[in-house]
This record gives sequence, C-alpha cells and structure tokens, in this order.
Amino acid sequence: MDSILSINSISKSYGPIQALKNVSFSVPPGSVFGILGPNGSGKTTLLGIILDVLKADAGTYQWLGGVPPEQARRSIGSLLETPNFYHYMSAWDNLQIAASIKQRGMNDRQAALEQTGLWQRKDSKFKTYSLGMKQRLAIASTLLGNPDVLVFDEPTNGLDPAGIAEIRELIIQLNREGKTIIMASHLLDEVEKVCTHVAILKRGDLLLSGKADEVLISEDQIEISAPDIAALHTVVSAMPGIHGIKQINGALQLNCDTHISPAQINEYCIQKGILLSHLTLKKKSLESKFIELTNK
Amino acid sequence: MNNLLNIEWLKIRKYPTFWIMAGMFAVLLPLWNYSINTGSMRMGGSGKNGINILDQAYAFNNVWQNLGWWSSIFVVFISVLVIIITTNEYTFKTNRQNVIDGWTRLQVLHAKWIMVLTLAIGTTLYVFITGVFFGMANDSFSNFPGDISGLFYIFVLSLNYYGFALLIAYLFKRSGIAIGIFFLYNMIIESLVRAFVNWRFDFPAGNLMPLQASDELLPFPLMEMAKTLVQTDEKITNTTYVLVSLAWVMVYYFVSRFRLLRSDW
Repeated sequence: MDSILSINSISKSYGPIQALKNVSFSVPPGSVFGILGPNGSGKTTLLGIILDVLKADAGTYQWLGGVPPEQARRSIGSLLETPNFYHYMSAWDNLQIAASIKQRGMNDRQAALEQTGLWQRKDSKFKTYSLGMKQRLAIASTLLGNPDVLVFDEPTNGLDPAGIAEIRELIIQLNREGKTIIMASHLLDEVEKVCTHVAILKRGDLLLSGKADEVLISEDQIEISAPDIAALHTVVSAMPGIHGIKQINGALQLNCDTHISPAQINEYCIQKGILLSHLTLKKKSLESKFIELTNK
Repeated sequence: MNNLLNIEWLKIRKYPTFWIMAGMFAVLLPLWNYSINTGSMRMGGSGKNGINILDQAYAFNNVWQNLGWWSSIFVVFISVLVIIITTNEYTFKTNRQNVIDGWTRLQVLHAKWIMVLTLAIGTTLYVFITGVFFGMANDSFSNFPGDISGLFYIFVLSLNYYGFALLIAYLFKRSGIAIGIFFLYNMIIESLVRAFVNWRFDFPAGNLMPLQASDELLPFPLMEMAKTLVQTDEKITNTTYVLVSLAWVMVYYFVSRFRLLRSDW
C-alpha cells in the first residue's frame, strides 16, 4: 500500500466561508502525520470529511488503498473534536457500544482503559468524568481492536501537563509499534516532538506538506555581542556565509548558512581583532516558523 | 439487522428516562382502564351518580377497540421517548461517533427505524396482554378473541406515531423544540387543518392527514354502535385508513433518509 490515506482536491464551504480549498495530500504508512494550522484553518473539517460526518462539496478520499470507507472506519481508531459518549452510561458500557459497532471483541476494553489510566473509574458514569478523563476515554475508545491507523483531533485537549506528556509518550509508543497516526493540532510543541510528516493549513489552503524535517527546516541563528557593536557589525557583514544581520538590544542576530558554527564566527572575529563578549546559538522554534508561514 | 437492534438496546437499557416513560405507559394504561372498568372513574359524568358508559366495553368483543382507543392516547409517552432517544444522539454527538466507529449513515437511520418498529410491536403485544386480562375478568374465555381488528389498528397507529416522532426528531434535532412541535402538531395544527379541509370539501380528506389517518381507525369506543343508530355514511373505509397510515410511514422514512444522507452532522 503506497498510502494509508490519500486526499484528492477536497473543497468544502459553509455558506460564504470556504473552509477547505482544493486540498490534496497523502499519508504514508508508518508515519505520524501532523495536520497543523491555526484555529479555524479547516483541520477538523478535513478530518470530519474523511470520517464521513461532513460532506465535501468536491473532491475524493481513499482509505487503505480503496477499501469501502465504513470498513476502513471500523478498522481505524478515531477521535474527532470532542469525546462523544452516552452521558448516563459508564466508561465500560460506552466502550461496549463502540466495540460492537467496530465489530470487535469485548476483551480489549480492559487494556484500553488501563493504557489511558481509567481502569479504576471504569464503572463511573461518563457525566461524572472531568474534561481530561473524558478525553482519555475517547483515546481509550480509539485503541479498541488494536487498530493499525489512528486519527487524533487535538488529542491533548483538556489534559494537564502530566497527561499531555503521557499521551505524547503513548503516541510515540504506538508509532514505534508500526501504527500510522494522523493528528490535527495547533499545539506546535506537541507536533514538533512527535510528527514525522506535516501538512500546514491556513484558512482552508494547504500551504505545504511533506516530511517534517524537510518542510520545517529550521535555520539556526547565532547571537553575538562586543563592546564596540558598530565595528562588530562591519566585520561580520563581510564574513562569507552570513546573509542577514539584525541588531537587537545591543547584540547582533546573524542568519547564516547551516555549515557556519559559532566557533568559526569566534575565530573569524578574533582574527579581525574583535573579542566577543557574548556568543549563543539559537534554534529557531517551530512556533516562529509556523507564525512566519501562516502570516504570509 | 439484529446487530443494529442489539446496539440500540445497549444504548437504552441503562437509560433511566427509557424505563420511566415505558413504565408510565405500562402502569398507567391498565390502571386507567381498571378504574373505568370498576366504575371508580366514570366517562358519562362524575361522582357516584355519573353514568358509566364504558364499563361494559371490557368484554371480549369490544375490549380491543376500547383498549385501542385509550392506547392511542397513551402512545404519546412512547412517542416522546422516541424523540428524546433520537435527539440525545445529536446532543451527545453520539450519532457522529457511531459513524466514526464504522456505521454507515444508513445504518444509523435503520437502527432507529428498527427501534421504532420494535416499540410498535412491543406496544401491540402489551395491549394484547392487557386485553386478555380485562377480557377474562369480564367475560368467558370462550368468547376470545372477538373482533380483534383493534389490536392490528393499534400496531398501525403506534408505528405511525413513533415514525412521525422519529421524523420530527431528525428534522429539529433538539429535544425541547421537537417535543413542542410534536404536541403542537398532534393537538392543534392537525385538528385545525383537518377541520378546515373537511368543512371546505364534501369529501373528508382532512381525515387522511398523517396522525389522523390512524386516529380514525380507533374512534371513541361504542362510537360504532352510535353510528349504526344514526346511520352515518362512512366515505372512507378502515382499509383505506390503514393503507394511508402505512403510506405516511413510508413518507417519514424517505424524508428522514434524505435528511440524514445529505446533511452535515
């Protein structure tokens, strides 16, 4: 199978608002595929369409090389937008319904609840759960039947920091087991830590998609300072491999080629008779890259 | 089909509202009829001096028509239950989840229609059991069952009411508004339109409206007797009312199907 999911020219509008414009990409097997975008960029709409709760105006999608969509949905685990359960029923009974629809055995329920830390509360009614517990139950439900593909829409919504770390670990663990994970998120930290592939959406447009380390090449920045900042500026602007200098608060921020190291800059400045009083390597964060991309 | 019904059962078996509404129907229907049968509640007046015109209608030949008529009022409990169960799926977004977990949209619809059919069969069976009890208490079993057409009519009527309730739930999605519309239509709108149509035309076409078509099958008990006395001219037969009722059920099915297959959830 070339791709777990392929999306071809999907468009969707809500009245005058165009939520998705001609979006196409495909998700390779074994990847953690992040769908990124600010609030309202169309992430959940896109997931809603591929899970058949929303109708696309145009375009097609194909799961698992073309199996019937309902069969594909039974064999993948999906969490869309909010945890959706019967409020008057326990976690245990709710998972029985999900497992019955998925045509899976009931034996997975215990493992799924243990994996998400809900086993002790399995008999409590869903309506008594906290927001974080509801989210955990939704994740537990996706794990029923040990699916090879998982779809998570904002999986860490409502979780506390320990919960977020746990879910992140779970995602990494699931991916290690060979599962493909499709994940929509606006939490870049989350994406940066787990995704192998990304697609970036902005107001319904697909800005770019591909391998995370290619799409999100982060240029490094080196920050330097010296007592005579004007002289330093003159010296480094003549250095090969440096193509941008910005002065911020008595320091210079250099955009340089990837092969330029802080040591080389230090050496160059000493040769030119300038002693640096400050030298740091700054990794450009995904956040600034993301803001740069989505603000264009 | 069995699987769909089984899953619907899993959804409601621990739902308190289901047991309360079904329980109200199950308790109040026999209790109401018992109090008429014994004369503690009188249909022709009040107190001990009132004339009880219905206490004789619990012997086998009349019991089905009589119970059928009262059931046609009590099915409202179950109709409201159908609305609540269906709109809950929108409120909890569980209809979405059922699709996400692997049902087709058509399976979501059919699961509810199978539930409606099952509830109609259940209602009919319950009326049958109640009828056997009342009949045996008032009559010799050798007269069983008598004219049992009323039992078939209660099946048609409950299917019509529950199907209509399901359609209203799918159209309005919120329980408050859906229950309001259901009662408004049942008690006021249909009566208004029916009266106007029957007044305007020679043919009582107003009787063929969605819920009324079934109501006509189960008129007030002893009405049949009154009709033979005053020699009224029936222009529409019960067979027509049955066929029209079933045609309306098909309309509810196809409108709800169209609605569910086309719209976003």
